Amino acid sequence: MTRLPIHLTVNGEAAEVLAEPRTHLADLLRGELLLTGTHLGCEHGVCGACTVELDDAPARSCITHAGACDGARIRTIEGFAGDAVMEALRGAFTAEHALQCGYCTPGMLITARDIVLRLPDADEVRVREELSGNLCRCTGYRGIVRAVLRVLEARRALKG
Amino acid sequence: MSPDGVGQGGGQGVGASLLRKEDARFLHGRGRYVGDIRPAGLLEVAFLRSPVAHARLLGVGKPADAEARVFTMADLAGVGGIRAASALPGFRVSEQSVLASGKLRYVGEAIAACVASSRAAAEDLAAACSLDYEELPVVSDMLTARAPGAPLIHEHWPDNAFLETQRDEDLSDLDGIAAAKVTRQLRTARQCMVPMEGRGVLAEWDPRLEQLVVTSSTQQPHIIRSGLSEVLGLDEGSIRVIAPDLGGGFGYKGILLPEEIACAWLAMRLERPVRWIEDRLEHLTANANCREHHYVVTAWADRNGRLLGAEVDATVDSGAYSSYPFSACLEAAQIGSIFPGPYTLPRFRFRTVSACTNKPPILPYRGVARTGVCYALETTMDALARQLGISPARIREVNLVPPDAMPYRNLVGKVFDSGDYPEALRRAVAHFDLDRIAARQAAGECVGFGLAVFCEQGAHGTSVYHGWGIPFVPGYEQAMARFTPDGVLEIRTGLQNHGQGMETTFAQVAHEVLGVPAARVRVVHGDTALTPYSTGTWGSRAAVMGGGAVAEACRLLGERALAIGASLLQAEPGGVEISGGAVRRRDGGAEVTLEEVARTWYRRPQNLPRGVDPGGLEVTGGYRPDPDTGTHSYACHAVVARVDTETGEVVLEDYVIVEDAGQMLNPMIVDGQVLGGLAQGVGTALYEEMPFDASGQPLAGTLADYLVPGAAELPATRIDHMETPSPWTRFGQKGIGESGAIGPPAAIVNAVNDALHRFGAEVMDLPASPARVIEALEKARAR
Repeated sequence: MTRLPIHLTVNGEAAEVLAEPRTHLADLLRGELLLTGTHLGCEHGVCGACTVELDDAPARSCITHAGACDGARIRTIEGFAGDAVMEALRGAFTAEHALQCGYCTPGMLITARDIVLRLPDADEVRVREELSGNLCRCTGYRGIVRAVLRVLEARRALKG
Repeated sequence: MSPDGVGQGGGQGVGASLLRKEDARFLHGRGRYVGDIRPAGLLEVAFLRSPVAHARLLGVGKPADAEARVFTMADLAGVGGIRAASALPGFRVSEQSVLASGKLRYVGEAIAACVASSRAAAEDLAAACSLDYEELPVVSDMLTARAPGAPLIHEHWPDNAFLETQRDEDLSDLDGIAAAKVTRQLRTARQCMVPMEGRGVLAEWDPRLEQLVVTSSTQQPHIIRSGLSEVLGLDEGSIRVIAPDLGGGFGYKGILLPEEIACAWLAMRLERPVRWIEDRLEHLTANANCREHHYVVTAWADRNGRLLGAEVDATVDSGAYSSYPFSACLEAAQIGSIFPGPYTLPRFRFRTVSACTNKPPILPYRGVARTGVCYALETTMDALARQLGISPARIREVNLVPPDAMPYRNLVGKVFDSGDYPEALRRAVAHFDLDRIAARQAAGECVGFGLAVFCEQGAHGTSVYHGWGIPFVPGYEQAMARFTPDGVLEIRTGLQNHGQGMETTFAQVAHEVLGVPAARVRVVHGDTALTPYSTGTWGSRAAVMGGGAVAEACRLLGERALAIGASLLQAEPGGVEISGGAVRRRDGGAEVTLEEVARTWYRRPQNLPRGVDPGGLEVTGGYRPDPDTGTHSYACHAVVARVDTETGEVVLEDYVIVEDAGQMLNPMIVDGQVLGGLAQGVGTALYEEMPFDASGQPLAGTLADYLVPGAAELPATRIDHMETPSPWTRFGQKGIGESGAIGPPAAIVNAVNDALHRFGAEVMDLPASPARVIEALEKARAR
């Protein structure tokens, strides 16, 4: 099958890969670029395990065609070193026991970071709504919701 | 969070809410699941699967240019079938061909393995194959499976049942003496377990060790090794099974897979690494394999609500084959023994049927039969209470096993170890203002209160399982403990962590015994080459069995270290003790750290005492509770539900769980287990259902059709712990891993039916979806 060249920036580094037109972004990241922190849970855009940042916004990499990402900036769970919000979320996820098997966690963290930055005033109901595109089968969500709220509250306290 | 990783519980030993050691890798995307492993030369497999539920398979057409890359059962020379027998009298053994041969018995059954350099290319290959088959009439419903003239799924059987069990007792006098009698028919839906990571397997042949290395997302690596050995005809020593990080299990990964066997055979045949990763479509359509029960329950009570007797006729849809190792009958047959629940039921009659149908083979899902049984029993208790005009709490209170009767043996021989069941009920009810709920009802609100009380047998061992006669019987659980030369404590266990946090809890147990900081304890698991034999993680057994085994291994290691330490301190062995990670003189004098002891054994053997145990600082400890009939954790779930009578939507306003796991190893992790179970139980209660049509076709092919709860669907939940130690386990801990998933359907539907009571409506079947709620209301209106 034809393979097309795709140029993208992944976690701050330029990458050029060849991919079949049918390849989705998650397979490209996991296969060609060895970024296996992005997980596949359904491959039809419901579970959110494959969530990555695409041009600064969360996107489902399993229903994003790799070919449509030519010129795009991608950030995966491996690309948040030094990011203060992500660091705070990681600490909060551990403190609130927001993960068990860890499979949904990378996608959950990327969605959570988006919530924290986009909705600084979100309350619990809103956080739960915003998380509805990310499924977790282990935790029952309480720890995840509390972790997001913990980071939101810490940031609100900081701003006074 | 404090810098040393200690949570609110303080300390690092048993009972501390120690934050999880395993979190860091997952939080950075460094978990390593089977799909993340990509050895050089990897070939990927897609399976050609049956499009029909029942047919005679006449032939598989391989694409002309790819015949060497498509494998059917005819190609798998020397590979046996999967047989998972039970020794229960009358059990009929199915033989499942690794790839279908002769007949197709459910939609999704694997027919051919198609091999290519990528999964996409392998799927192209599967799509290019042709199938020749002759369709047969389908058994799509367990209740008609044994009807006269029903098509036979296994043609040499007299009818479509793996097993029937019963207990007879004459209850004919109860009609004359009972103040209340109810008979109810109930049904629970077929479900998919939906771990976020599906199954997956990577098989390689290691020519140097002459060993088949199978990396599989399994809860039971040692059992898989035995199963592969039996089916492939290899000795167990030439098979190594590795279980890497698992993206959830819940019972779904407690099975020897046809796909595992096929990949293993292909890896040996092709001399290349071969991988199959289940996709969600395969999970949903080829593996809807749990929870489908049907009950007819009759119960009698006196005017005070005391149960006089019960009769249950239960059928479980066991699907087309008996799965290895748990068999097709575990679920139905245990209904008889667990139906009396937490009550002092005086008389009881049951019949259970493990029906064979054209559906995927059943597997035990978190809670196994208990979720269905609790639903049947607890909704029946509410029906009795309504008939008698007493409260749901009252009818439970008068029937629960009282604390002074513990340990209590019930009429079918289950032994409850300890606890105060009525207190759990009282505490749960006390969280609610029942008068306010009554006032809201009086004001016309469609709101209700529901309760469910149950107990969960966990960690049951040899004395229970030898009677089942299935392919394995759990015996002594072993753990290995050793010090590395620099004093790190390595714990090796054959139990499999798939989210339960064992890398943390077992480190806590080790810390409790030896005082080594949890950060200096490494828990090694998931590899038959590195760990002692274990039946794996299932049946809420890891905390009890692993906790006991790790403690025993550490105790034995401590004795070895003590002898060396005493010599270094120039003391008598009786004059020293281990505490805080050091050997200390009891008289308060000098101490020598366990690191120093380790260094002495490995690197300064000239300083070892004469007569030192040459076994060194590496031991294996074995453990089994006595008796090993299992711990019984228990819980009361209580919920307030609001029903929208226009849309049929059920909203859970408030949820309370009072539970008793005995001594908790890590309360934070216990809460996590309970809450995760609750979410799955809410799914069972309200959302999850895999419908099949009359031709045996599964009808929910995506997670947009098969609904699992998201964050917005789950109620605010309070957990209240009681901690009654089990008298039989090392620390008094009880198995609690499944508990959360058992109570919700019963409690929630009791609340829904309490809300619907004024309309004369009642939901009987799960899930209590909007459609079923509306149907119940319409049925009541039509009456």
